[in-house]
Amino acid sequence: MAVDAGRARRLPSLGGERLREAGVGYAFVLVPLGVFALFQLYPMAYAFYVSAHEWGGIEGKLGYVGLANYRELWHDQAFWTWPPERATALWNTVYYAVLVVPLQMALGLTMALIVNQAIRGRTFFRAAYYFPALVSSAAISAIAIYLLNADGLVNAAISAVLGRDFDHPWFGDADTALESIVVLDAWTTSGTMMLFYLAALQSIPTDVYEAAAIDKAGAWRTFWKITFPLLKPAHFFVVVVSVIGALKLFDQAFIISTGSGGPAGSTMTAVMYVYTVTIKEFNYGYGATVGVVLFLIIFTLTLIQRLLFGRAEIGY
Amino acid sequence: MADREEVAAPPVAAVRELALEGAAAVGAPVAIPPRTFGERARRVVAYGLMITLAVLYLVPFAYTVSTSLKTQAEAAAGFDLWPSNPSLAAFREIWSSENVSFVTFFKNSLLLATSITAINLFLATLGGYAFARLRFPLREPLFLLVLGTLMIPDQLRLVPIYLMMVDFPVTHWNLTQTRHGYVFFGTSIALATSLFLMRQYFLTIPKDYEEAAKLDGAGYFKTYWRVMLPLAAPAVAAVAILTFQGIWNEFFWANLLLGQGSSSEWTVQIGLAQFRFTYQTLWPQLMAAATIAIIPVLVVYVFFQRYFVAGVAAAGVKG
Repeated sequence: MAVDAGRARRLPSLGGERLREAGVGYAFVLVPLGVFALFQLYPMAYAFYVSAHEWGGIEGKLGYVGLANYRELWHDQAFWTWPPERATALWNTVYYAVLVVPLQMALGLTMALIVNQAIRGRTFFRAAYYFPALVSSAAISAIAIYLLNADGLVNAAISAVLGRDFDHPWFGDADTALESIVVLDAWTTSGTMMLFYLAALQSIPTDVYEAAAIDKAGAWRTFWKITFPLLKPAHFFVVVVSVIGALKLFDQAFIISTGSGGPAGSTMTAVMYVYTVTIKEFNYGYGATVGVVLFLIIFTLTLIQRLLFGRAEIGY
Repeated sequence: MADREEVAAPPVAAVRELALEGAAAVGAPVAIPPRTFGERARRVVAYGLMITLAVLYLVPFAYTVSTSLKTQAEAAAGFDLWPSNPSLAAFREIWSSENVSFVTFFKNSLLLATSITAINLFLATLGGYAFARLRFPLREPLFLLVLGTLMIPDQLRLVPIYLMMVDFPVTHWNLTQTRHGYVFFGTSIALATSLFLMRQYFLTIPKDYEEAAKLDGAGYFKTYWRVMLPLAAPAVAAVAILTFQGIWNEFFWANLLLGQGSSSEWTVQIGLAQFRFTYQTLWPQLMAAATIAIIPVLVVYVFFQRYFVAGVAAAGVKG
């Protein structure tokens, strides 16, 4: 009886309690949501708005132009060409992504397999492989400029191997500048990919390997027949992260080319193009347009990848 | 495939153990103690590959430090890893001189990274707790919205953010070239990831603790502050470290919002890029600047490595 009375008395206040909980909940998430509204959602809408205007750096907003900026971009040979040509911002970026993504994945997976073994010093190796991923893009760029200049360490090593003087300016030649940045970024980003693969490797149930061991499948065969296919979700995830990261390339190309995108436009990336149009040419309307188009490209890619990812069976 | 259940019975525990350490996961035949010649050869190859990779990954940093301790003449002359006459002259030159003052950049970077980390921690733990535990209408859609902001790329935000920061809505403040402006905006850089990590961690904490606190008459804030936050210490550490490192290293927005004007507001990363633009091939000084940019994250990494790994892996799992 006493218990019943107590419950009866508390019931109405429970409704108030619910209300209070909801109020406190909103209060706790209010500031973060405000930050996102102000610096993510509003700018997104604002970008579309600006892209529909002629908008100069000094004059400010000059007038509504509809899709004129988009039409200009369609014919902008510095942004893209058809058929694809290098030294255009979009195709440079695509070319970079096509090279760097498989390289990052292969390195990341190899390193994950290595540090996932019961071997002496695995903590050291994991730390060593991950270390470049911690270092800032500015420091990495400075170090790369030092190592890859015509008189740098890399050329000294190549000279020693070849037995003759080798002094190729890696970043000074349009044929090797972006490719050198590919290697540079594979070096620094593969550590992060390694951690993703490592997490995936450790979640594979062991019984599949027991079966393989009983079948006397060799390590090589076991890897290709079992481990690699079972990592499918991880591959997809790493591809998404890696592609989105590749399409964002800015810091290294900007610092190494002293902001020019050179030599001969070979390191002008899509993001650098937005930056150049906006900050150097004061053409805000056009800069916003390039940003919107890049966003739409990335968004479409992500959707396609999500669809593929959604369909992928998790194999165990 | 062989009949698993029957054979797997006795060694299963041993195999599990091995697999946790990972030998099985690589596909090496499990539980065969005497090594064959082939296996030994494979180990040699594996170690060779591991060591080569580690050397390739770390040698550039060894040369960075080594060159920063050399004179210009010695740096130009060759690549001895050990400087013949190590000196801190290059550091002294860039740390505080008429032309470059990395001491200013260092202080700025430290100030920005610690302030943004502190703000992020408070907002992310409080918000993460609410998203994990408190029931309120639209909680899930709002959380999805937070995750959705991760899909808005920087290249889309460049122009609008720049315009906003030059002439802030309503107030007409110019928030570029000011550290407080960067802190204000910088809060948005890592907040979504931090919120996500904190929410995921709070979800794993058993509810008993909160219920006990509630019985003691603690309110929501007190429960968060006194009970949940201490229990979430590992996640708090991971978020703090990842945010600090992210902001310390951040170049894109810092360059846009602080790098166009007076060097008194620059961060270490801006200073480093500008130093390279201006002085091209002063290798010892450039490498000294790079070393200054690396040391704080290195220190944090050495002391908190396990939180780093846990944080990156957890942030990755969100998919």
